Amino acid sequence: MANLTRRTFIKAAGGAAAAVGLVGPARSWAAEPHVVVIGGGYGGAIAAKYLRMMSGGKIKVTMIERDESYYSCPLSNWVVAGFRDLGVQKHSWAEAAKAHGFSVIHKEAEAIDPKAKTVSLAGGEKVSYDKLIVSPGVDYKDNIEGYTKKEYEQHPHAWHAGPQTEALKKKLAAMPDGGKVIIVPPEDPFRCPPGPYERVSLIAHYLKKNKPKSKILVLDPKDKFSKQGLFAGGWKTLYGYETPNSLIEWVAGASGGKVARFDAATGTVFTEMDQHKGDVVNIIPNQKAGQIAFASNLVEGDWCPVNKQTFESTLHKDVYVIGDACNAAKMPKSGYAANSQAKVCVEAVIRSIHGKDPADASYVNTCYSMLSPDYAISVANVFKLKDGEITPINGGMSPPEATPEFRKMEAEFNESWYRSIMADMFA
Amino acid sequence: MHHKSIRTLVMAGCLASAGLLALAGTALAEPASESMLSNTCAGCHGTDGVAAGPAMPSIANMDAKIMENLLMQFKSGERPSTIMGRIATGYEDAELKAIAQHFSKLPWKSTAVPTDPKLVAEGAKLHKSEKCNSCHEEDGRTQSAEDGVMRQAGQIPHYLFLQMVNYQKQEYPDVPKKMMSRLSKLSEKDLQALAHFYASQK
Ligand SMILES: Cc1cc2nc3c(=O)[nH]c(=O)nc-3n(C[C@H](O)[C@H](O)[C@H](O)COP(=O)(O)OP(=O)(O)OC[C@H]3O[C@@H](n4cnc5c(N)ncnc54)[C@H](O)[C@@H]3O)c2cc1C
Ligand code: HEC
Ligand code: HEC
Repeated sequence: MANLTRRTFIKAAGGAAAAVGLVGPARSWAAEPHVVVIGGGYGGAIAAKYLRMMSGGKIKVTMIERDESYYSCPLSNWVVAGFRDLGVQKHSWAEAAKAHGFSVIHKEAEAIDPKAKTVSLAGGEKVSYDKLIVSPGVDYKDNIEGYTKKEYEQHPHAWHAGPQTEALKKKLAAMPDGGKVIIVPPEDPFRCPPGPYERVSLIAHYLKKNKPKSKILVLDPKDKFSKQGLFAGGWKTLYGYETPNSLIEWVAGASGGKVARFDAATGTVFTEMDQHKGDVVNIIPNQKAGQIAFASNLVEGDWCPVNKQTFESTLHKDVYVIGDACNAAKMPKSGYAANSQAKVCVEAVIRSIHGKDPADASYVNTCYSMLSPDYAISVANVFKLKDGEITPINGGMSPPEATPEFRKMEAEFNESWYRSIMADMFA
Repeated sequence: MHHKSIRTLVMAGCLASAGLLALAGTALAEPASESMLSNTCAGCHGTDGVAAGPAMPSIANMDAKIMENLLMQFKSGERPSTIMGRIATGYEDAELKAIAQHFSKLPWKSTAVPTDPKLVAEGAKLHKSEKCNSCHEEDGRTQSAEDGVMRQAGQIPHYLFLQMVNYQKQEYPDVPKKMMSRLSKLSEKDLQALAHFYASQK
């Protein structure tokens, strides 16, 4: 732990801490318990900040994050469609680390030793922890023959925001009017279930404005998708969906949408029966928990099993997994869900440090999807634990019939959501 | 002024105050804490209820009775909303009460979203000429649980604007006739001016 920058952990917590009654000496722990957080995304950034806030600054927190800056996936489809700069999607941890008194080590975490309670970092250094929270996000599978890591540069999936987002935008910009865009969504479960269809919508918006003779072909392995009725309704209103002039054609898995193979050189995708050549091909691969989860035996199948009341791994004690990497069904894999899980996890970790059993948990997911800059829809659910499962309490989609003003207001709230959740993570 | 819904809530509150314990979802676990219930709102309303803008409102420091009343109206559907109705229906009444208690204890922070000085000046005039100050005292800084008046000073300007447009177009349960008659004759530009004026009052 040689080069851990020791900060003065004095910044008091906000109003939230006092209300929990968790401030006070930890039972049978070192004077200053140390919680390490791997990953500084939607889950990890919140875990680090709220550990400090909710403990009244009594817990030492170290974040391990490989990248120097964070590009947010939410709203990155706006960048692809050309009405938002990638620069606005870029954030860093310095401000929150200073304001709340946690330290950040910018290195790759390579493995966790749950017995010795250490994390080894690239370069050989080891960091020891009392509790560890892991939020590494997703990694990608090679489920389509001919589409692997080495094709990402030429044919970006852009499911990890950053340079790939810009690359996909450039490919669309370079496409001639009358071109064909092929989008291949992944199979469930994956990060942001409505995300591929938001992307379809916003690319349609871009084409309608700039290249109206072009078409989008969606070859889906699935037979249905998130908020499908609302998307289809919006596509009818905005993009002539299900008319001969539709900008968008969606092919379900059962109707021949399953893509088996890709030829990167010609941009051709092969389904069971057919082949299609695209001017821009956007394949979004199937997903699994981030690599560190596999390196550290935190997975069962593709995802990390957890106690859903605390997010403690069912495989390793004192290791917690939140965000996309964990199996938190029936919560979807979203940024809002990761944020909410981080807060549930932090309260459970602090209670555990104080020798208390976890309290009842409360979780929220909301997700806005934009169909055009003046038209957004949303889903919002409150969840509680019932028989060990995270169960939605209320029903939560935007109404199927709504005025244009309503859709426009949701579009305004979409960006507002983004700013508030970014401030929750990075301020 | 007469606000039946708030009065009923005050009475119901006495009965429900100790009732949160009875809500425990898991037989043995302690019920969800106020912070557990309330920190989920931060993704939209900001950490500790201070929103980043440009459209969703800050909710920190709102009087507990006012917030409980708003949340109960969202839940019942009486109060029009794009998304709050769907969220509020996810909670028991006693949980909404606990959430309202939580936010009422958090400090208010006025928004840093910039305002337009010209609009601010026009808004200041309207605030007086239209006698908005008879209920929204101290340039919108006061709250009155009795009258259901929430703070506007330092609120996100575009939210205030949207809300006034909503009042003009849709039915709200607790909007006083005196406010409606004054608001209904104002133009969009007037409403923008008023929104910027209130937002500028820190
Ligand atoms: C196009 C698109 C649109 C989306 N839109 C929305 C939306 O509107 N609303 C919404 O709620 N969600 C949305 N999402 C989903 C959201 O981005 C994810 O659900 C969210 O990022 C999950 O958070 P996380 O903490 O699990 O992972 P991430 O946010 O990916 O964070 C993981 C972090 O861990 C770091 N890391 C990983 N492994 C290591 C290691 N071994 N060592 C050190 N650091 C490591 C990574 O660098 C990264 O910073 C969208 C996703 C996409 C792709
Ligand atoms: C998905 C985003 C979102 C979440 C999550 C959310 N809100 Fe809201 N809230 C809004 C929006 C948008 C409005 C404006 C009304 C509307 O259109 O729904 C609002 C309005 C409000 C208002 C009215 C404020 C005023 O001054 O009129 C209150 C009070 C409120 N929310 C409380 C809460 C509480 C408490 C929670 C958590 C339990 C919460 N909200 C969670 C988006 C959200
Ligand atoms: C008779 C008292 C009264 C008068 C006069 C009055 N208001 Fe209000 N105002 C209220 C009450 C009560 C509410 C809360 C209504 C509700 O439940 O949404 C309110 C709410 C508001 C809100 C919404 C704040 C928020 O955070 O949701 C705005 C904006 C507002 N008033 C502006 C005005 C303006 C502008 C005027 C003058 C043209 C005015 N009011 C005159 C009583 C009054």
